[in-house]
Amino acid sequence: MNTALDKPRLFRYTYEKYRKVIVVFLLIVFVFVFGKIALPTFLSVEQVFMTVKLASFTALFGLCQMIVVAGGGGGLDLSVGYNATLTAVITASLMDGRDERLAIALLIAVAFGIMIGLANGALTSYLRLPPLVVTLAMADILQGIVNAYVAGKAITGRPAPILVSLAAKLTGKFPNILFVLIPTAVLVTLLLNRSKWGQILFGVGANERTAHLSGINVKKVRCIAFVVSGVLASVIGLLLLGNMGIAFKDMGSNYVLPSIAAVVIGGVSLNGGSGNYLGVILGAVFLQALTNMLIAFGLGDAGKWMTFGIILFLVLSFYASNRRSR
Amino acid sequence: MDRVTKEKGFPLTRLFFKPESSSMFILIVMLIINIVLQKNFFETKSIVRNINAFAPLILLAMGQAIVIVSGGLDLSSGAALSLFTCVLTTVMKQNEPITGFYALLVTFAIALMVGIVNGIGIGYLRIPPVIVTFATSYIWLGIALFLRPTPGGETVGWFRIFYRARSVEGIPALIRTMDNFIPPALILVLIGCLLWFVVSRTRTGRYVYAVGSNMESAYVSGIDTAKTQMLACVMNAVFIFLAALFFVAQNQSGDARMGGPLTIKSIAAVVVGGISLFGGRGSIYFALVGAMILELVSKIIFFADIPNAYQTLVSGIIVIVAIAGPAYVMFNKEKR
Amino acid sequence: MKNEIILEAKGVKKCFGGVVALSNGNLRCRKGRITGLLGANGSGKSTISKIIAGVYKPDGGEIHYNGRIVHYRNPHEARQDGIALVFQNLSLVPDLTVWQNVVLGIERNRGLFLDDEGARLLAREILEELYPGFDVERKVSELSPGEMQVVEVAKALAANPQLLILDEPTASLEQAQVRSLFACMRTLAQKGVAMIFTSHRLWEVMEICDEVTIFRNGEDVATIDFDTEEKDPEKIIGYITGEQRKTVVAVNHGKASGDVLLRVKVKSKTRDKFLDDVSFELHEGEILGIGGLAGQGQEELMYALAGSYPNVRCEIELKGKKIRLHRPQDAIRHSILLVPGDRQREGLFLDHSVYDNAIFPRLGLRGHPLWIPEREYRRMCEEAVRILSIKTPGVDAPVNTLSGGNQQKVVVARWLSFDVQVLLLADPAKGVDVGAKRDLYEYIVKLAREKKIGVLLYASDNEEFVEYCDRLLIMYEGQIVATLQGDEINDDAITAASMRVR
Repeated sequence: MNTALDKPRLFRYTYEKYRKVIVVFLLIVFVFVFGKIALPTFLSVEQVFMTVKLASFTALFGLCQMIVVAGGGGGLDLSVGYNATLTAVITASLMDGRDERLAIALLIAVAFGIMIGLANGALTSYLRLPPLVVTLAMADILQGIVNAYVAGKAITGRPAPILVSLAAKLTGKFPNILFVLIPTAVLVTLLLNRSKWGQILFGVGANERTAHLSGINVKKVRCIAFVVSGVLASVIGLLLLGNMGIAFKDMGSNYVLPSIAAVVIGGVSLNGGSGNYLGVILGAVFLQALTNMLIAFGLGDAGKWMTFGIILFLVLSFYASNRRSR
Repeated sequence: MDRVTKEKGFPLTRLFFKPESSSMFILIVMLIINIVLQKNFFETKSIVRNINAFAPLILLAMGQAIVIVSGGLDLSSGAALSLFTCVLTTVMKQNEPITGFYALLVTFAIALMVGIVNGIGIGYLRIPPVIVTFATSYIWLGIALFLRPTPGGETVGWFRIFYRARSVEGIPALIRTMDNFIPPALILVLIGCLLWFVVSRTRTGRYVYAVGSNMESAYVSGIDTAKTQMLACVMNAVFIFLAALFFVAQNQSGDARMGGPLTIKSIAAVVVGGISLFGGRGSIYFALVGAMILELVSKIIFFADIPNAYQTLVSGIIVIVAIAGPAYVMFNKEKR
Repeated sequence: MKNEIILEAKGVKKCFGGVVALSNGNLRCRKGRITGLLGANGSGKSTISKIIAGVYKPDGGEIHYNGRIVHYRNPHEARQDGIALVFQNLSLVPDLTVWQNVVLGIERNRGLFLDDEGARLLAREILEELYPGFDVERKVSELSPGEMQVVEVAKALAANPQLLILDEPTASLEQAQVRSLFACMRTLAQKGVAMIFTSHRLWEVMEICDEVTIFRNGEDVATIDFDTEEKDPEKIIGYITGEQRKTVVAVNHGKASGDVLLRVKVKSKTRDKFLDDVSFELHEGEILGIGGLAGQGQEELMYALAGSYPNVRCEIELKGKKIRLHRPQDAIRHSILLVPGDRQREGLFLDHSVYDNAIFPRLGLRGHPLWIPEREYRRMCEEAVRILSIKTPGVDAPVNTLSGGNQQKVVVARWLSFDVQVLLLADPAKGVDVGAKRDLYEYIVKLAREKKIGVLLYASDNEEFVEYCDRLLIMYEGQIVATLQGDEINDDAITAASMRVR
């Protein structure tokens, strides 16, 4: 083999792999610089950390989404935010601000996550129903349970202080949530790229027929992806509760669209077979920076949703036309 | 030839397992339960009330059915409905009756736009329909929130003809008396049915089924598949527009978030109506049956004295059962 | 008017991703005559008919139709111009009724609405000739394959074609339906319609056609006019196989006669057209070919043995022990390993690297450690790359940057680290260049001889059977119809047995 000649080509493959991540990073820089020009207070260390902190939750939900998306078959999980809300609402009254009850809360969260994920996974992979429809209906059910649970009474309870300090507090200027996000990101990246789980997941997403003939139980893998997504979403619900301090009816649902948008902007193909968590995190940061800018310009929710929708549509059509020109 | 007769089997069971007849059967059962539960079911007043309650979902479901039959799916229909109500109530000024016409025109134009944008994504760009319409649903939501951050807005007086014609001043006596028996909601549904009746007898109607059934075959037969899917989306938008007229007339206001829960309900209604989620199969009119079944079930829940708070939960469960049930039956059939 | 040339194709070329399907195709059709196209699998006969009908765009050459040069962008344009192709169940929409399908794409209006009555009448009229008593109100999804084929013909006829192309229309028809199709073709010929007819049943071609053009290796090699020349099947087979092939020396024949490794008995649960009833034995160190015309159940047999064809009941004995093959995992656990035919769709993850592809099947093994032993696997992968001489800039290069032959080697490399007992090869040399093909086969022959494994080989090209097989089974419509051994394995014998001439 002619290594001298092949080095540049191999470098190009690596570059192709990370090109989208670089693009997102440049986009983030662009938003901050543009914001700084328009509003002098926009760019500061505090502001950047604040953005990253807020983006962390989107990024964590994006992890759920990425795992399901990477498994292919048109997988998406629209129930993640509602799942988190339900967990938060129920565990809030249970914990009632006491640390020693955190373990039970965690146990309940995981149990909820498994149940919800199993329902989603079984319906989509074994009954072959469209994942979006199933998870959307699941979202309705979960919201329904929350509505029923809180009906006619105020949601009581507070998160355990550990959760509060983990999710909401800062160490100096450094937000503590990053102590969760960064190890998670490292672990996820290692699992995806260096463990059999990650490679099997990507294989199933890239070509289910090949994976099937290679002796992989495709349905099982996709079902497990939904279970993992469910468990993660429930645990994120605890963190979200820690960040907000109280539970309320739609604390999680606002994260569903951003989580998908972050995955798409982060360069993860919705057709499955790939995944890059760094890209998803950067996608989340970009969306948060953009939201901050829109708020700074006086556009509230309306501008945020509209912009998110338009960006998602444009990125999708860009990829679609890329795919066709090939 | 004998193959066919063998497949048919015992005629009665065969009839029952046809999706259309089983949804018809469920409808009849639901009607009977409702008649038993509601003593005054056959009074004109309660019939009118029922029609008013059912009409929006019927219209949305029929529009959704056209998209689904063409091989797509619209997750943005609820958001589009909210958007149309917001546009209508923004353009209208209470004391200038003429603005009512402007509102109709502007909203109709926006409805066409909504359909075209979805259609471009689904048909021409070939992005998976669920994802395109998921993205567009947030665009519609954003615009709706921009126009109307909180529910409200103005309507002109005569706009009530889409809800209760007799309450409009200066309406001819004939319409006034007719309104006692034939509510405008029913007329809107009939307009929708008529629209599909006409379209189904043209190339577009035929091609909607062909494209949804097998896109490849349709393409080699010379059908413009992208255009067909786009037209399906536009028709859907027109149905949503009709529903929006009723909503604004009924509530006298626009609301950017009112439509959200109706999306999944409209999909469920389509499935309950025996229309395949994979496209090409089922009658559009049976979306009407599906919508009625869902609404009648909600009414039974209402009579069962279940607290209001449980409504979303129950309707979510109904939706999942409604969608998973037929799929489960199909799955078992395939296995055999 | 009769015998006037309606279509002439001159020097038509077509490549598919670097593989030449048609190098120099010439064809002439006359009004009122039925031209038969003959040739082995991949000889280019079906490619040229699809080019004429606008399904493919030619890479070179000219097509003259009615005296002018035509370029169709899609089959619909050709259809409107009077050239209709009878698809093999490709163009029917399952959820529409028969009459709706017959007029699909060419509906007429009556006033504002579609003229449904006229369409029903037209469909009934056409079908009455092809299949008396056919119910045009049924949905296509309820039809049998044979009935669908009849509807395909009716659909082509609805456009009133001047040139009708029938690409293996009889494959799914019963005898009686073939008769009425032929009768209808004769009526059409009388009306002056030109027809191109392909079939793998030689007697059909000789019965219905007025002349035949024979294709071999992407070229037309002969045209026989049955008006002036006699119908001689031996001569035609000679043209189909070609003379020069006989020089291929079969070096490997008959060396293996080890113990029985695999005893196979496959029966379809419901009568399956593709895989009906097959039983055979595979010996240790033997290379057993599964031949026959394309699509006679060879690939289905491979899938069944790989545990991925649910519609059959398999009774398999491996080294005398009964085994069950319900899922691909079962086959892999017993070291029965499949190299699938369509490597891009079934064998590879195109966007993933050579390394990722090569190690993937190992990950699904029971008890595989969670963390991938990367160093060991890399060494293994580089070893495989060396043994199979895969040309790649490195094991981290995405597979889609490799050539077809090297991609195929990666598919084989996936199984290299396994303790192979039976290797199933489904057309491994499809779209593979000569050098890579030789590398691949030489390695496989060596593997079979040295490690005493059994190889089951399906190839679309007879040459590979002649060169590498010890024994050859010929399949026809889901059954084994002939067994060739040793020196019997030659091109003429294979072709004759495949077409069931002798």
